[in-house]
Amino acid sequence: MDDSHSKIRILGFKGVTKLSLLLFINLMLLSSFNLPAQNARQGKKLFQECAACHTIGGGRLVGPDLKGVNERRDKEWLYSFIRNSQAMIQAGDPIAVELFNEYNKVPMASYDYTDEQIESILTYISAKSEGKEVEDAAPETSKETEESGETVSEKADKEIALQEEMAKHELERDRNYSPAFWISILLLVLSIFDLAVTKFIKAKFVNVIVIIITGVIVVEITVREAIALGRQEGYSPEQPIWFSHKVHVQQNKIDCRYCHHTVDDSKHAGFPSAQLCMNCHNVVKEGSRTGKTEIAKIYDAIENNKPIEWVKVHNLPDHVYFSHAQHTNIGQIDCAVCHGPVEEMDKVKQLSDLSMGWCVNCHRETNVTQFETNTFYKHYTELHEKLKSGEIKEVTVQDIGGNDCQKCHY
Amino acid sequence: MKRIIKYFLIPALMLIIFNACNHKEEHPGWVYMPDMMYSEAYSAYSENPNFEDGKTNQPPVQGTIARGKAPYPYERTFQGQQSAGKELHNPLEANEENLAMGKEQYRIFCASCHGEQGKGDGHLYTSKLFTAKPTSLVDDYVQEKPDGEIYHVITMGSLSGLMGAHGAQISPGERWKIIHYVKNGLSENK
Repeated sequence: MDDSHSKIRILGFKGVTKLSLLLFINLMLLSSFNLPAQNARQGKKLFQECAACHTIGGGRLVGPDLKGVNERRDKEWLYSFIRNSQAMIQAGDPIAVELFNEYNKVPMASYDYTDEQIESILTYISAKSEGKEVEDAAPETSKETEESGETVSEKADKEIALQEEMAKHELERDRNYSPAFWISILLLVLSIFDLAVTKFIKAKFVNVIVIIITGVIVVEITVREAIALGRQEGYSPEQPIWFSHKVHVQQNKIDCRYCHHTVDDSKHAGFPSAQLCMNCHNVVKEGSRTGKTEIAKIYDAIENNKPIEWVKVHNLPDHVYFSHAQHTNIGQIDCAVCHGPVEEMDKVKQLSDLSMGWCVNCHRETNVTQFETNTFYKHYTELHEKLKSGEIKEVTVQDIGGNDCQKCHY
Repeated sequence: MKRIIKYFLIPALMLIIFNACNHKEEHPGWVYMPDMMYSEAYSAYSENPNFEDGKTNQPPVQGTIARGKAPYPYERTFQGQQSAGKELHNPLEANEENLAMGKEQYRIFCASCHGEQGKGDGHLYTSKLFTAKPTSLVDDYVQEKPDGEIYHVITMGSLSGLMGAHGAQISPGERWKIIHYVKNGLSENK
């Protein structure tokens, strides 16, 4: 301000009018420059609807590439084509008919845009054609943010609970009894040797106590490790692609069944084919955390027709029959009951031990939800009668033979 | 003898014990009887030397049709889409049960892009992963299309290629149920 004041004083009255004129012109220029920019931003938002069929400088899609369309066609033609292209074709507009034939006679949908909206789209197209980048339109302040604010504490609680559960499993996996086992064996051998041969410790009861304590520890650890044999709790192998369930399920809210779509009809939940990945990754080519490298592996697999060799995490022994369909479709069991909070995992880890005891316990406790409605169960007449007479209140999986040997082992 | 125990046997024992009890997350662990744990038969996704392409999972033999499946004759072109619209008709009734099942299928397979309300505002679009706006299913453009055309788009994908083919994921019956839901359930949200 001080500077301009001093300038005005030096320039005198004539100078002031000149300066104000300059300022005015400047302002005009600025506003006229600002208006299209704002327009283009609005146009960018609207163009998202056009982007299903058109690109700007990206080649033809369903409809023509719109790069430089403002130069190719006059404004009125564009306005009426956007509003109702079919009417123009029926009226016999030569350019419209030619375009219609060139693009496989796919009609363009009609859009009820105002003059202003169409103008903004065209401004955006011309800006984009010249290679200018356009910023996103200012985000609308919506109710969503308020709504999500209310549930923040709930979400935090849930997250803490999940983390605790994960930590518990982490501890279970990290158990390493080797030093305790080894020291106990050493002490056990030494004290037996001392008791029988060297007799270094005069008071025999010391040796006896040591033998008992170490003996118990050794047996306990042996039993625990023997039980853990053949179970894979905590198994979390490296996968060929750094695929994160956390990103796909939690962040992008994709349902488990979108990819594991055979889970309701098949024994297997199913690994998605690489082609299925392309339903989204034809557009999403860059990950937020891994960049392009991991997603490029899908393209590589498709181009070279070679399978992606995922490593199966949840394995059951071959002498057990297990069907996903029976559990998810008929039993209505949620995926997380067995697989845990997969949506929290970047790398999948087996949280349940998948032991027989674990299976059998669940069969004892779980009610058959469709016992009354599913006609398959109508032959359990005795159970139905008991239910009616009130002798039993609910029917568990065990009651209908879910824990018979041949249900799973045959 | 004692030297052998001291210098060889003990460290060897230690090694075995330390290894046996170490639960590394990359290792699936040890088993009692590998022949009962690991199948002699090839499992669904395993390699298989008996087939030329080395996979156990084989496509149906050429010239055969799997039970309950039918070949899909229409191509992914505008003409294919139109003839599907004329020739295919929804074989299912739009009753409450089918609508409910269609809604569940819609939630799984469609809502990520087209939105729970069908307005084309699914999470993948609002979170800006997708730049093109998914088609609104409640507008007249889709609502006025014959069922067969919608069936064609679900099965083969959209003409622009922005929507992929979902025929492999969604069974024919489920596709028709979804269409019932789009026409009868979603339109209430308009």
